[in-house]
Amino acid sequence: MSAANRRERKGTPMAEALVIRGLNKRFGGLRAVQDVSFTVQENETVALIGPNGAGKTTSFNLITGFHRPDSGSVSAYGREIVGLKPHDICAHGLARTFQVAKPFGAMTVLANVMTGAFLRDKHIAVAREKAREAIEFVGLSAREHTAAKDLTTIDQRRLEMARALATEPRLLLLDEVMAGLNPAEIDQAVALVGKLSKRGLTIVIVEHVMRAIMAVARHIVVLDHGQKIAEGSPKEIVENPEVVRAYLGSYVHPPTPGET
Amino acid sequence: MQNLDKWKALSLAALAAIVLVLPLVVKSSFAIDIFIRILLFSFIGVAWNLMGGYAKQLSLGHAAYFGLGAYTSTILQIDFGISPWIGMIAGGVVAMLASLPIGWLCFRLRGPYFTIATIATAQALMLIFLKFRDLAWGAEGTTIPNLGNAPLMMQFEAKAAYYYVALGLLVVGLAITHLIERSWMGYYLVAIGEDEDAAEAIGVNAPRIKRDIYMISSFLTALAGTFYTQYIYFIDPATAFSFSISIEAALVSIVGGIGTLWGPVIGTILLETTSTLLQSWLGGSVGGVQLTVYSLILMAVILWRPTGLMGMISEAWRRYVSRKPARA
Repeated sequence: MSAANRRERKGTPMAEALVIRGLNKRFGGLRAVQDVSFTVQENETVALIGPNGAGKTTSFNLITGFHRPDSGSVSAYGREIVGLKPHDICAHGLARTFQVAKPFGAMTVLANVMTGAFLRDKHIAVAREKAREAIEFVGLSAREHTAAKDLTTIDQRRLEMARALATEPRLLLLDEVMAGLNPAEIDQAVALVGKLSKRGLTIVIVEHVMRAIMAVARHIVVLDHGQKIAEGSPKEIVENPEVVRAYLGSYVHPPTPGET
Repeated sequence: MQNLDKWKALSLAALAAIVLVLPLVVKSSFAIDIFIRILLFSFIGVAWNLMGGYAKQLSLGHAAYFGLGAYTSTILQIDFGISPWIGMIAGGVVAMLASLPIGWLCFRLRGPYFTIATIATAQALMLIFLKFRDLAWGAEGTTIPNLGNAPLMMQFEAKAAYYYVALGLLVVGLAITHLIERSWMGYYLVAIGEDEDAAEAIGVNAPRIKRDIYMISSFLTALAGTFYTQYIYFIDPATAFSFSISIEAALVSIVGGIGTLWGPVIGTILLETTSTLLQSWLGGSVGGVQLTVYSLILMAVILWRPTGLMGMISEAWRRYVSRKPARA
Protein backbone atom coordinates (compact mmCIF):
# COMPACT_ATOMS: atom_id res chain seq x y z
CA MET A 1 0.00 0.00 0.00
CA SER A 2 1.47 3.35 -0.91
CA ALA A 3 1.74 6.38 1.30
CA ALA A 4 -1.02 8.05 -0.69
CA ASN A 5 -3.42 5.21 0.11
CA ARG A 6 -2.59 5.45 3.79
CA ARG A 7 -3.39 9.12 3.70
CA GLU A 8 -6.69 8.34 2.10
CA ARG A 9 -7.50 5.72 4.66
CA LYS A 10 -7.09 8.05 7.56
CA GLY A 11 -9.06 10.72 5.77
CA THR A 12 -6.72 13.56 6.71
CA PRO A 13 -3.39 14.30 5.08
CA MET A 14 -0.44 13.39 7.31
CA ALA A 15 3.07 14.70 7.41
CA GLU A 16 5.91 12.32 6.67
CA ALA A 17 8.07 11.70 9.71
CA LEU A 18 10.57 9.30 8.21
CA VAL A 19 11.21 8.59 4.54
CA ILE A 20 13.58 5.76 3.70
CA ARG A 21 14.66 5.32 0.10
CA GLY A 22 16.77 2.55 -1.44
CA LEU A 23 18.72 1.67 1.67
CA ASN A 24 21.61 -0.77 1.11
CA LYS A 25 24.14 -2.26 3.50
CA ARG A 26 26.65 -5.03 2.98
CA PHE A 27 28.75 -6.77 5.60
CA GLY A 28 31.45 -8.50 3.54
CA GLY A 29 29.59 -10.93 1.31
CA LEU A 30 26.33 -10.61 3.22
CA ARG A 31 23.77 -8.20 1.85
CA ALA A 32 22.14 -7.31 5.14
CA VAL A 33 19.77 -4.72 3.75
CA GLN A 34 18.89 -4.50 0.04
CA ASP A 35 17.09 -1.61 -1.51
CA VAL A 36 14.67 -1.11 1.36
CA SER A 37 12.24 1.79 1.13
CA PHE A 38 9.35 2.74 3.35
CA THR A 39 7.70 5.76 4.82
CA VAL A 40 6.49 6.46 8.34
CA GLN A 41 3.76 9.04 8.76
CA GLU A 42 3.64 11.30 11.76
CA ASN A 43 1.78 9.93 14.81
CA GLU A 44 1.71 6.49 13.25
CA THR A 45 3.00 3.23 14.71
CA VAL A 46 4.82 1.17 12.11
CA ALA A 47 6.08 -2.34 12.78
CA LEU A 48 9.13 -3.81 11.10
CA ILE A 49 8.85 -7.60 11.10
CA GLY A 50 10.62 -10.54 9.53
CA PRO A 51 12.43 -13.75 10.43
CA ASN A 52 15.78 -13.69 12.23
CA GLY A 53 18.48 -12.14 10.08
CA ALA A 54 15.98 -10.30 7.90
CA GLY A 55 17.77 -7.01 8.45
CA LYS A 56 15.46 -5.35 10.96
CA THR A 57 18.07 -4.38 13.52
CA THR A 58 20.51 -3.44 10.76
CA SER A 59 17.84 -1.11 9.36
CA PHE A 60 17.54 0.46 12.81
CA ASN A 61 21.29 0.89 12.99
CA LEU A 62 21.29 2.52 9.56
CA ILE A 63 18.49 4.90 10.50
CA THR A 64 20.00 5.90 13.84
CA GLY A 65 23.54 6.40 12.56
CA PHE A 66 25.22 3.43 14.23
CA HIS A 67 26.02 2.06 10.77
CA ARG A 68 26.48 4.01 7.61
CA PRO A 69 24.49 2.74 4.63
CA ASP A 70 26.40 1.91 1.44
CA SER A 71 23.74 3.78 -0.46
CA GLY A 72 20.26 5.14 0.00
CA SER A 73 18.75 7.99 1.91
CA VAL A 74 17.04 8.45 5.25
CA SER A 75 15.14 11.65 5.70
CA ALA A 76 13.60 12.55 9.05
CA TYR A 77 11.29 15.53 9.35
CA GLY A 78 12.56 16.91 6.09
CA ARG A 79 16.28 16.55 6.87
CA GLU A 80 18.70 14.03 5.37
CA ILE A 81 20.26 12.21 8.32
CA VAL A 82 22.57 9.72 6.61
CA GLY A 83 26.10 10.53 7.73
CA LEU A 84 25.06 12.11 11.00
CA LYS A 85 26.39 10.67 14.24
CA PRO A 86 23.99 8.83 16.58
CA HIS A 87 23.97 11.71 19.08
CA ASP A 88 23.10 14.20 16.34
CA ILE A 89 20.27 11.99 15.18
CA CYS A 90 19.00 11.77 18.74
CA ALA A 91 19.18 15.55 19.02
CA HIS A 92 17.16 15.73 15.79
CA GLY A 93 14.36 13.89 17.60
CA LEU A 94 14.91 10.20 16.87
CA ALA A 95 15.44 8.08 19.97
CA ARG A 96 15.99 4.34 19.99
CA THR A 97 16.16 1.42 22.35
CA PHE A 98 18.42 -1.59 21.93
CA GLN A 99 17.51 -5.21 21.32
CA VAL A 100 19.70 -6.17 24.25
CA ALA A 101 18.96 -3.52 26.86
CA LYS A 102 21.96 -1.32 27.57
CA PRO A 103 21.31 0.27 30.95
CA PHE A 104 24.10 2.20 32.67
CA GLY A 105 24.36 -0.55 35.27
CA ALA A 106 26.21 1.31 37.99
CA MET A 107 23.80 4.25 37.92
CA THR A 108 20.41 4.37 39.55
CA VAL A 109 17.27 4.39 37.43
CA LEU A 110 16.89 8.11 38.10
CA ALA A 111 20.49 8.88 37.09
CA ASN A 112 20.08 6.81 33.91
CA VAL A 113 17.05 8.77 32.82
CA MET A 114 18.52 12.11 33.89
CA THR A 115 21.44 11.40 31.56
CA GLY A 116 18.91 11.30 28.74
CA ALA A 117 17.18 14.48 29.94
CA PHE A 118 20.44 16.45 29.85
CA LEU A 119 20.20 16.52 26.06
CA ARG A 120 17.57 19.26 26.25
CA ASP A 121 18.48 20.95 29.52
CA LYS A 122 21.80 20.84 31.38
CA HIS A 123 20.38 21.92 34.76
CA ILE A 124 20.30 19.16 37.34
CA ALA A 125 16.98 20.19 38.87
CA VAL A 126 15.20 20.44 35.51
CA ALA A 127 16.67 17.14 34.31
CA ARG A 128 15.61 15.42 37.53
CA GLU A 129 12.10 16.73 37.14
CA LYS A 130 11.86 15.56 33.54
CA ALA A 131 13.41 12.22 34.39
CA ARG A 132 10.88 11.62 37.18
CA GLU A 133 8.10 12.34 34.73
CA ALA A 134 9.45 9.83 32.18
CA ILE A 135 10.00 7.24 34.92
CA GLU A 136 6.47 7.67 36.14
CA PHE A 137 5.18 7.38 32.58
CA VAL A 138 6.74 3.95 32.10
CA GLY A 139 5.68 2.88 35.59
CA LEU A 140 9.09 2.60 37.19
CA SER A 141 8.73 5.14 40.00
CA ALA A 142 9.06 2.52 42.73
CA ARG A 143 12.49 1.59 41.38
CA GLU A 144 13.82 5.13 41.07
CA HIS A 145 16.77 4.57 43.41
CA THR A 146 17.57 1.01 42.33
CA ALA A 147 20.84 0.46 40.49
CA ALA A 148 19.97 -0.30 36.86
CA LYS A 149 21.90 -3.57 36.90
CA ASP A 150 19.54 -4.93 39.56
CA LEU A 151 16.39 -4.49 37.47
CA THR A 152 14.36 -7.33 35.98
CA THR A 153 14.22 -7.72 32.20
CA ILE A 154 10.95 -5.88 31.74
CA ASP A 155 12.07 -3.10 34.07
CA GLN A 156 15.29 -2.73 32.07
CA ARG A 157 13.16 -2.33 28.94
CA ARG A 158 11.03 0.22 30.76
CA LEU A 159 14.17 2.02 31.78
CA GLU A 160 15.40 2.10 28.17
CA MET A 161 12.09 3.60 27.11
CA ALA A 162 12.14 6.17 29.90
CA ARG A 163 15.71 7.14 29.02
CA ALA A 164 14.76 7.53 25.37
CA LEU A 165 11.65 9.49 26.30
CA ALA A 166 13.68 11.86 28.45
CA THR A 167 15.46 13.05 25.29
CA GLU A 168 12.06 14.36 24.14
CA PRO A 169 11.96 12.53 20.83
CA ARG A 170 9.41 12.95 18.07
CA LEU A 171 10.05 9.48 16.76
CA LEU A 172 10.78 6.46 18.89
CA LEU A 173 12.45 3.35 17.49
CA LEU A 174 11.84 0.31 19.67
CA ASP A 175 13.99 -2.73 18.95
CA GLU A 176 12.30 -5.90 20.23
CA VAL A 177 11.21 -4.42 23.52
CA MET A 178 9.04 -7.47 24.18
CA ALA A 179 11.58 -10.23 23.61
CA GLY A 180 11.95 -12.44 26.66
CA LEU A 181 8.83 -11.15 28.39
CA ASN A 182 6.08 -13.42 29.68
CA PRO A 183 2.50 -13.04 28.35
CA ALA A 184 1.38 -10.81 31.21
CA GLU A 185 4.42 -8.57 30.75
CA ILE A 186 3.78 -8.42 27.01
CA ASP A 187 0.31 -7.06 27.73
CA GLN A 188 1.87 -4.40 29.93
CA ALA A 189 4.40 -3.54 27.24
CA VAL A 190 1.67 -3.35 24.59
CA ALA A 191 -0.31 -1.01 26.81
CA LEU A 192 2.79 1.13 27.28
CA VAL A 193 3.46 1.39 23.54
CA GLY A 194 -0.20 2.33 23.05
CA LYS A 195 0.18 5.01 25.70
CA LEU A 196 3.27 6.38 23.95
CA SER A 197 1.41 6.49 20.67
CA LYS A 198 -1.51 8.32 22.27
CA ARG A 199 0.95 10.87 23.57
CA GLY A 200 1.53 11.80 19.94
CA LEU A 201 4.79 9.95 19.39
CA THR A 202 5.59 8.37 16.06
CA ILE A 203 6.81 4.84 16.69
CA VAL A 204 8.77 2.34 14.64
CA ILE A 205 8.82 -1.01 16.36
CA VAL A 206 10.78 -4.16 15.56
CA GLU A 207 9.05 -7.13 17.05
CA HIS A 208 8.69 -10.88 16.88
CA VAL A 209 5.66 -11.17 19.11
CA MET A 210 2.87 -11.19 16.55
CA ARG A 211 0.12 -10.68 19.08
CA ALA A 212 1.81 -7.47 20.14
CA ILE A 213 2.33 -6.23 16.61
CA MET A 214 -1.27 -6.78 15.68
CA ALA A 215 -2.28 -4.84 18.75
CA VAL A 216 -0.08 -1.81 18.28
CA ALA A 217 0.79 -1.36 14.60
CA ARG A 218 -1.34 0.34 12.04
CA HIS A 219 1.12 -0.33 9.27
CA ILE A 220 3.54 -3.24 8.87
CA VAL A 221 6.70 -3.56 6.79
CA VAL A 222 7.94 -7.13 6.26
CA LEU A 223 11.62 -7.82 5.62
CA ASP A 224 13.17 -11.10 4.55
CA HIS A 225 16.83 -11.67 3.68
CA GLY A 226 17.36 -7.92 3.74
CA GLN A 227 14.58 -7.15 1.27
CA LYS A 228 11.15 -5.71 1.76
CA ILE A 229 8.70 -8.40 0.70
CA ALA A 230 5.44 -6.83 1.78
CA GLU A 231 3.92 -3.76 3.34
CA GLY A 232 0.40 -2.98 4.45
CA SER A 233 -2.17 -3.10 7.18
CA PRO A 234 -1.97 -6.00 9.68
CA LYS A 235 -4.90 -7.72 7.96
CA GLU A 236 -3.25 -7.49 4.56
CA ILE A 237 0.01 -8.79 5.95
CA VAL A 238 -1.37 -11.95 7.56
CA GLU A 239 -3.16 -12.81 4.34
CA ASN A 240 -0.13 -12.20 2.16
CA PRO A 241 1.15 -15.55 0.78
CA GLU A 242 4.68 -14.15 0.45
CA VAL A 243 4.76 -13.33 4.14
CA VAL A 244 3.36 -16.70 5.13
CA ARG A 245 6.08 -18.35 3.06
CA ALA A 246 8.80 -16.31 4.78
CA TYR A 247 7.43 -17.31 8.15
CA LEU A 248 6.93 -20.93 7.05
CA GLY A 249 5.95 -23.02 9.99
CA SER A 250 5.27 -20.14 12.28
CA TYR A 251 1.73 -19.36 13.21
CA VAL A 252 0.50 -15.85 12.60
CA HIS A 253 -2.40 -14.63 14.71
CA PRO A 254 -5.13 -12.99 12.66
CA PRO A 255 -5.94 -9.58 13.99
CA THR A 256 -8.92 -9.47 16.30
CA PRO A 257 -11.62 -6.98 15.37
CA GLY A 258 -11.17 -3.57 16.81
CA GLU A 259 -7.41 -3.84 16.96
CA THR A 260 -6.67 -2.91 13.39
CA MET B 1 19.12 13.65 56.67
CA GLN B 2 19.99 17.16 57.82
CA ASN B 3 21.93 15.72 60.72
CA LEU B 4 23.86 13.54 58.32
CA ASP B 5 24.84 16.54 56.21
CA LYS B 6 25.90 18.41 59.29
CA TRP B 7 27.93 15.43 60.42
CA LYS B 8 29.57 15.25 57.01
CA ALA B 9 30.45 18.95 57.04
CA LEU B 10 31.85 18.65 60.54
CA SER B 11 34.07 15.71 59.71
CA LEU B 12 35.28 17.50 56.59
CA ALA B 13 36.16 20.55 58.69
CA ALA B 14 37.98 18.36 61.21
CA LEU B 15 39.90 16.71 58.40
CA ALA B 16 40.83 20.10 56.96
CA ALA B 17 42.06 21.29 60.37
CA ILE B 18 44.20 18.19 60.88
CA VAL B 19 45.68 18.41 57.41
CA LEU B 20 46.45 22.11 57.86
CA VAL B 21 48.26 21.84 61.19
CA LEU B 22 50.00 18.55 60.42
CA PRO B 23 53.34 20.05 59.22
CA LEU B 24 53.37 22.44 62.21
CA VAL B 25 53.15 19.53 64.63
CA VAL B 26 55.21 16.92 62.83
CA LYS B 27 58.76 18.14 62.48
CA SER B 28 60.44 15.03 61.09
CA SER B 29 61.43 15.82 57.54
CA PHE B 30 61.14 12.12 56.67
CA ALA B 31 57.48 12.17 57.72
CA ILE B 32 56.76 15.42 55.87
CA ASP B 33 58.36 13.96 52.78
CA ILE B 34 55.94 11.05 52.98
CA PHE B 35 53.01 13.43 53.48
CA ILE B 36 54.07 15.40 50.40
CA ARG B 37 54.30 12.22 48.35
CA ILE B 38 50.84 11.23 49.52
CA LEU B 39 49.38 14.62 48.60
CA LEU B 40 51.14 14.66 45.24
CA PHE B 41 50.15 11.18 44.19
CA SER B 42 46.63 11.70 45.48
CA PHE B 43 46.48 14.69 43.20
CA ILE B 44 47.84 12.74 40.22
CA GLY B 45 45.31 10.00 41.02
CA VAL B 46 42.50 12.54 41.19
CA ALA B 47 43.52 13.92 37.80
CA TRP B 48 43.68 10.43 36.31
CA ASN B 49 40.41 9.42 37.95
CA LEU B 50 38.45 12.08 36.06
CA MET B 51 39.04 10.24 32.82
CA GLY B 52 40.14 6.78 33.88
CA GLY B 53 37.68 6.44 36.73
CA TYR B 54 34.47 8.23 35.82
CA ALA B 55 34.62 7.64 32.06
CA LYS B 56 36.54 4.35 32.43
CA GLN B 57 39.07 5.32 29.74
CA LEU B 58 41.94 3.35 31.22
CA SER B 59 45.00 5.40 30.35
CA LEU B 60 48.43 4.15 31.30
CA GLY B 61 50.17 7.04 29.63
CA HIS B 62 49.57 9.95 31.96
CA ALA B 63 53.32 10.22 32.48
CA ALA B 64 53.27 11.96 29.08
CA TYR B 65 51.52 14.96 30.65
CA PHE B 66 53.45 14.78 33.90
CA GLY B 67 56.65 14.98 31.83
CA LEU B 68 55.41 17.72 29.53
CA GLY B 69 54.43 19.82 32.52
CA ALA B 70 57.80 19.22 34.18
CA TYR B 71 59.79 20.01 31.04
CA THR B 72 57.77 23.05 30.01
CA SER B 73 58.21 24.82 33.34
CA THR B 74 61.87 23.79 33.64
CA ILE B 75 62.77 24.98 30.14
CA LEU B 76 60.96 28.26 30.77
CA GLN B 77 62.77 28.67 34.07
CA ILE B 78 66.30 27.77 33.01
CA ASP B 79 66.33 29.15 29.47
CA PHE B 80 64.08 32.16 29.95
CA GLY B 81 64.09 32.83 33.68
CA ILE B 82 60.33 32.55 33.93
CA SER B 83 58.90 31.61 37.32
CA PRO B 84 57.72 28.01 37.63
CA TRP B 85 54.40 29.36 38.91
CA ILE B 86 53.77 30.69 35.43
CA GLY B 87 55.60 27.72 33.90
CA MET B 88 53.23 25.43 35.76
CA ILE B 89 50.21 26.93 34.01
CA ALA B 90 52.10 27.00 30.70
CA GLY B 91 52.94 23.32 31.20
CA GLY B 92 49.29 22.60 31.83
CA VAL B 93 48.35 24.34 28.61
CA VAL B 94 51.05 22.47 26.66
CA ALA B 95 49.78 19.17 28.09
CA MET B 96 46.22 20.12 27.26
CA LEU B 97 47.17 20.89 23.67
CA ALA B 98 49.22 17.69 23.42
CA SER B 99 46.22 15.68 24.60
CA LEU B 100 44.29 16.75 21.50
CA PRO B 101 46.31 14.85 18.85
CA ILE B 102 47.12 12.05 21.31
CA GLY B 103 43.44 11.67 22.16
CA TRP B 104 42.46 11.95 18.51
CA LEU B 105 44.67 8.94 17.84
CA CYS B 106 44.06 6.86 20.94
CA PHE B 107 40.30 7.30 21.23
CA ARG B 108 39.90 5.50 17.91
CA LEU B 109 40.64 2.42 19.95
CA ARG B 110 38.60 1.02 22.78
CA GLY B 111 39.39 -1.11 25.81
CA PRO B 112 42.86 -2.65 26.11
CA TYR B 113 43.91 -1.29 22.71
CA PHE B 114 43.30 2.23 23.96
CA THR B 115 45.40 1.51 27.04
CA ILE B 116 48.31 0.17 24.98
CA ALA B 117 48.20 3.20 22.71
CA THR B 118 48.42 5.56 25.68
CA ILE B 119 51.46 3.68 27.00
CA ALA B 120 53.08 4.12 23.61
CA THR B 121 52.54 7.90 23.57
CA ALA B 122 54.29 8.38 26.90
CA GLN B 123 57.19 6.16 25.81
CA ALA B 124 57.47 8.03 22.51
CA LEU B 125 57.67 11.36 24.32
CA MET B 126 60.34 9.99 26.63
CA LEU B 127 62.40 8.90 23.60
CA ILE B 128 62.00 12.32 21.99
CA PHE B 129 63.38 14.03 25.10
CA LEU B 130 66.17 11.43 25.33
CA LYS B 131 67.35 11.69 21.73
CA PHE B 132 66.93 15.35 20.92
CA ARG B 133 69.58 16.93 23.07
CA ASP B 134 68.97 20.43 21.73
CA LEU B 135 65.47 20.32 23.09
CA ALA B 136 66.31 19.70 26.71
CA TRP B 137 69.60 18.30 28.02
CA GLY B 138 69.11 14.76 26.67
CA ALA B 139 69.51 11.69 28.84
CA GLU B 140 71.54 13.19 31.69
CA GLY B 141 68.89 15.77 32.45
CA THR B 142 69.62 18.82 34.53
CA THR B 143 69.44 20.10 38.06
CA ILE B 144 67.29 23.08 38.92
CA PRO B 145 69.49 25.99 40.13
CA ASN B 146 69.05 26.30 43.87
CA LEU B 147 68.07 29.85 44.73
CA GLY B 148 67.66 29.26 48.44
CA ASN B 149 64.39 30.57 49.75
CA ALA B 150 62.61 31.97 46.68
CA PRO B 151 58.86 31.56 46.99
CA LEU B 152 58.28 33.40 43.72
CA MET B 153 60.38 30.76 41.97
CA MET B 154 58.61 27.93 43.82
CA GLN B 155 61.63 27.21 45.99
CA PHE B 156 61.36 27.04 49.73
CA GLU B 157 63.72 26.41 52.59
CA ALA B 158 61.04 24.84 54.75
CA LYS B 159 59.69 21.52 53.59
CA ALA B 160 56.32 22.47 55.05
CA ALA B 161 55.90 25.03 52.27
CA TYR B 162 56.03 22.30 49.65
CA TYR B 163 53.49 20.45 51.71
CA TYR B 164 51.07 23.36 51.44
CA VAL B 165 51.63 23.73 47.70
CA ALA B 166 50.87 20.03 47.17
CA LEU B 167 47.86 20.36 49.44
CA GLY B 168 46.64 23.31 47.37
CA LEU B 169 46.95 21.26 44.19
CA LEU B 170 45.00 18.40 45.73
CA VAL B 171 42.24 20.72 46.93
CA VAL B 172 41.95 22.19 43.43
CA GLY B 173 41.78 18.70 41.93
CA LEU B 174 39.13 17.56 44.40
CA ALA B 175 37.08 20.72 43.90
CA ILE B 176 37.11 20.29 40.12
CA THR B 177 36.15 16.64 40.49
CA HIS B 178 33.35 17.53 42.88
CA LEU B 179 31.95 20.15 40.48
CA ILE B 180 32.11 17.78 37.52
CA GLU B 181 30.64 14.88 39.48
CA ARG B 182 27.62 16.96 40.42
CA SER B 183 26.96 18.34 36.94
CA TRP B 184 25.63 16.88 33.69
CA MET B 185 29.25 16.25 32.73
CA GLY B 186 29.63 13.73 35.55
CA TYR B 187 26.55 11.84 34.41
CA TYR B 188 27.80 11.85 30.81
CA LEU B 189 31.23 10.56 31.87
CA VAL B 190 29.79 7.66 33.84
CA ALA B 191 27.37 6.90 31.00
CA ILE B 192 30.26 6.74 28.53
CA GLY B 193 32.16 4.49 30.90
CA GLU B 194 29.17 2.19 31.28
CA ASP B 195 28.11 1.90 27.65
CA GLU B 196 29.31 4.24 24.98
CA ASP B 197 26.75 3.16 22.37
CA ALA B 198 23.85 3.63 24.74
CA ALA B 199 25.22 7.03 25.69
CA GLU B 200 25.46 8.05 22.02
CA ALA B 201 21.89 6.86 21.48
CA ILE B 202 20.56 9.33 24.03
CA GLY B 203 22.43 12.25 22.57
CA VAL B 204 25.79 12.14 24.34
CA ASN B 205 28.54 13.37 22.04
CA ALA B 206 30.99 10.80 23.39
CA PRO B 207 34.07 11.80 21.35
CA ARG B 208 33.73 15.43 22.43
CA ILE B 209 33.16 14.61 26.09
CA LYS B 210 36.14 12.25 26.10
CA ARG B 211 38.30 14.89 24.43
CA ASP B 212 37.27 17.53 26.97
CA ILE B 213 37.86 15.37 30.03
CA TYR B 214 41.20 14.22 28.61
CA MET B 215 42.22 17.88 28.33
CA ILE B 216 41.24 18.62 31.93
CA SER B 217 42.95 15.48 33.18
CA SER B 218 46.14 16.26 31.22
CA PHE B 219 46.22 19.83 32.44
CA LEU B 220 46.06 18.77 36.10
CA THR B 221 48.63 16.00 35.63
CA ALA B 222 51.07 18.51 34.14
CA LEU B 223 50.79 20.70 37.25
CA ALA B 224 51.99 17.74 39.29
CA GLY B 225 54.97 17.37 36.95
CA THR B 226 56.11 20.93 37.56
CA PHE B 227 55.70 20.60 41.30
CA TYR B 228 57.62 17.34 41.46
CA THR B 229 60.57 18.75 39.50
CA GLN B 230 60.72 21.82 41.75
CA TYR B 231 60.54 19.58 44.79
CA ILE B 232 63.38 17.22 43.85
CA TYR B 233 65.45 19.90 42.01
CA PHE B 234 66.14 17.55 39.14
CA ILE B 235 64.69 16.54 35.81
CA ASP B 236 65.54 13.87 33.24
CA PRO B 237 63.40 11.98 30.75
CA ALA B 238 63.49 8.75 32.72
CA THR B 239 61.90 10.28 35.82
CA ALA B 240 59.65 12.82 34.09
CA PHE B 241 58.12 10.29 31.71
CA SER B 242 58.51 7.30 34.01
CA PHE B 243 56.07 4.49 33.35
CA SER B 244 55.74 4.05 37.10
CA ILE B 245 54.02 7.44 37.31
CA SER B 246 51.39 6.29 34.83
CA ILE B 247 50.95 3.09 36.81
CA GLU B 248 50.79 4.87 40.15
CA ALA B 249 48.14 7.28 38.87
CA ALA B 250 45.91 4.40 37.83
CA LEU B 251 46.77 2.17 40.76
CA VAL B 252 45.91 4.55 43.58
CA SER B 253 42.54 5.18 41.94
CA ILE B 254 41.80 1.51 41.34
CA VAL B 255 42.74 0.51 44.87
CA GLY B 256 40.88 3.43 46.41
CA GLY B 257 37.86 3.15 44.15
CA ILE B 258 37.58 4.48 40.61
CA GLY B 259 34.93 7.02 39.80
CA THR B 260 34.69 8.28 43.37
CA LEU B 261 35.78 11.64 44.73
CA TRP B 262 37.94 10.35 47.58
CA GLY B 263 39.01 7.04 46.04
CA PRO B 264 42.43 8.18 44.77
CA VAL B 265 43.23 9.85 48.11
CA ILE B 266 42.38 6.78 50.14
CA GLY B 267 44.23 4.56 47.68
CA THR B 268 47.36 6.70 47.91
CA ILE B 269 47.31 6.80 51.69
CA LEU B 270 47.09 3.01 51.80
CA LEU B 271 49.69 2.32 49.13
CA GLU B 272 52.21 4.96 50.19
CA THR B 273 52.10 4.06 53.88
CA THR B 274 52.28 0.35 53.13
CA SER B 275 55.23 0.72 50.80
CA THR B 276 57.07 3.05 53.21
CA LEU B 277 56.43 0.82 56.20
CA LEU B 278 57.42 -2.29 54.30
CA GLN B 279 60.57 -0.60 53.12
CA SER B 280 61.63 0.33 56.63
CA TRP B 281 60.77 -3.09 58.03
CA LEU B 282 61.93 -5.33 55.24
CA GLY B 283 64.10 -3.07 53.09
CA GLY B 284 67.25 -4.22 54.87
CA SER B 285 66.55 -7.92 54.45
CA VAL B 286 66.59 -9.94 51.25
CA GLY B 287 66.29 -7.62 48.25
CA GLY B 288 62.83 -7.37 46.76
CA VAL B 289 60.93 -8.80 49.73
CA GLN B 290 59.11 -5.53 50.39
CA LEU B 291 58.08 -5.33 46.73
CA THR B 292 56.72 -8.88 46.85
CA VAL B 293 54.65 -8.18 49.94
CA TYR B 294 53.46 -4.92 48.39
CA SER B 295 52.34 -6.76 45.26
CA LEU B 296 50.50 -9.35 47.33
CA ILE B 297 48.57 -6.61 49.14
CA LEU B 298 47.68 -5.08 45.77
CA MET B 299 46.44 -8.39 44.42
CA ALA B 300 44.38 -8.98 47.54
CA VAL B 301 42.63 -5.61 47.23
CA ILE B 302 41.91 -6.05 43.54
CA LEU B 303 40.69 -9.63 43.95
CA TRP B 304 38.45 -9.09 46.95
CA ARG B 305 37.45 -5.48 46.57
CA PRO B 306 37.23 -4.73 42.86
CA THR B 307 35.16 -1.63 43.65
CA GLY B 308 38.07 -0.34 45.70
CA LEU B 309 38.13 0.76 49.30
CA MET B 310 35.58 3.49 48.66
CA GLY B 311 33.14 0.79 47.60
CA MET B 312 33.72 -0.94 50.91
CA ILE B 313 33.33 2.25 52.90
CA SER B 314 30.15 3.42 51.19
CA GLU B 315 28.68 -0.05 51.52
CA ALA B 316 29.36 -0.01 55.25
CA TRP B 317 28.00 3.53 55.44
CA ARG B 318 24.79 2.44 53.74
CA ARG B 319 24.41 -0.58 55.94
CA TYR B 320 25.13 0.97 59.33
CA VAL B 321 24.65 4.68 59.10
CA SER B 322 22.20 5.93 56.52
CA ARG B 323 20.16 2.81 55.71
CA LYS B 324 19.12 3.96 52.29
CA PRO B 325 19.68 2.44 48.84
CA ALA B 326 22.42 3.55 46.43
CA ARG B 327 22.35 7.25 45.84
CA ALA B 328 21.70 8.89 42.49
